Amino acid sequence: MLWQIFITFLRVGAFTIGGGYAMLPLIRREVCEKHKWMDEMAFMDGLAAAQSSPGPIAINLSIYVGYHLRKGKGMAAAVLGTVLPSLISIIIIASLFSRYADSTLARKAFRALKPAVVALIALPLIEMAKKIGIKLNNFWVPLTALILVGILGLSPAHLILLTILVTIWLSDRNSRKV
Amino acid sequence: MFTMFLTFIKIGLFSFGGGYAILAMIQQEVVARHGWLTAAEFADIVAISQMTPGPIAINAATFVGFQRYGILGSILCTFGVILPSLILMAIITVSYIKLSSQAWFKDIFKNLRLLSLGLIGAAMIMIGKDAFPDFFSVVIFLLAFLILWRWKVNPIYLLLGTAAVGMVLG
Repeated sequence: MLWQIFITFLRVGAFTIGGGYAMLPLIRREVCEKHKWMDEMAFMDGLAAAQSSPGPIAINLSIYVGYHLRKGKGMAAAVLGTVLPSLISIIIIASLFSRYADSTLARKAFRALKPAVVALIALPLIEMAKKIGIKLNNFWVPLTALILVGILGLSPAHLILLTILVTIWLSDRNSRKV
Repeated sequence: MFTMFLTFIKIGLFSFGGGYAILAMIQQEVVARHGWLTAAEFADIVAISQMTPGPIAINAATFVGFQRYGILGSILCTFGVILPSLILMAIITVSYIKLSSQAWFKDIFKNLRLLSLGLIGAAMIMIGKDAFPDFFSVVIFLLAFLILWRWKVNPIYLLLGTAAVGMVLG
């Protein structure tokens, strides 16, 4: 099992170019669909948790999934799997090319890659919205977050903190009413 | 080297919102504050980090560490960036498992899920902001969307294929 966790995250880490957000749909595919380690809701909670913690999202999510499966050891296996491909490929690239390496080829490839990454993130976003149960009365929450963070550049940390505090306050008020 | 390790712990601890937020923070610390790299060197590192497998922040941290102190430096910087994650995320996961039956905790996650959707959308906008400079990129987006949606192609093949197309035609 530990080996399988390691290999799964290693494969996702080794073959996904385009960064952490491009890795999310792949991790979801492996964890929920292929291995059925976790149901969709638990995975989405993990995603929400991963965004609430500082640090790279893909690493945070690996920690969550790994810990759920096999506690500390699972967590170590998942994180190692995610980090190792980066570490190895960067060390190889950095030692092959000189300090003044020409990165035009990388820039060209990335220019084409960017719109594909946008599509890769957009598709599961629609599926997730369906699963969470987005309706007219709660649609404003993700939309507001999207505008505040994506367009106005507010830090997600503030929104997360606000959400947690408001939720606690509301549930406290509701429990007093009953 | 210890200063660098501490700097990357700080970067890992104070960057919310994933890769691009972390890159901005690395730039501020590594280029502006400590002057370990010039802005041009950092721009190259960012370009290569985006095209190398794995999380961009991890790639950039590994690269910066390697440039200064070789393999040991790259391991230290990477470990530094993920150290706060390891501690905080483990705490969050453990409390999630322990508290997930509590009503107030369920409420928090019900709302965080909604928020998370918006944050992923925000990340998409940030990546998408300069992703569509020409007609070519719009075609790639539409083709990629269609391929993923209709034929459920493994995204890995799609990404590798797109990168290859970019190198040839870009």
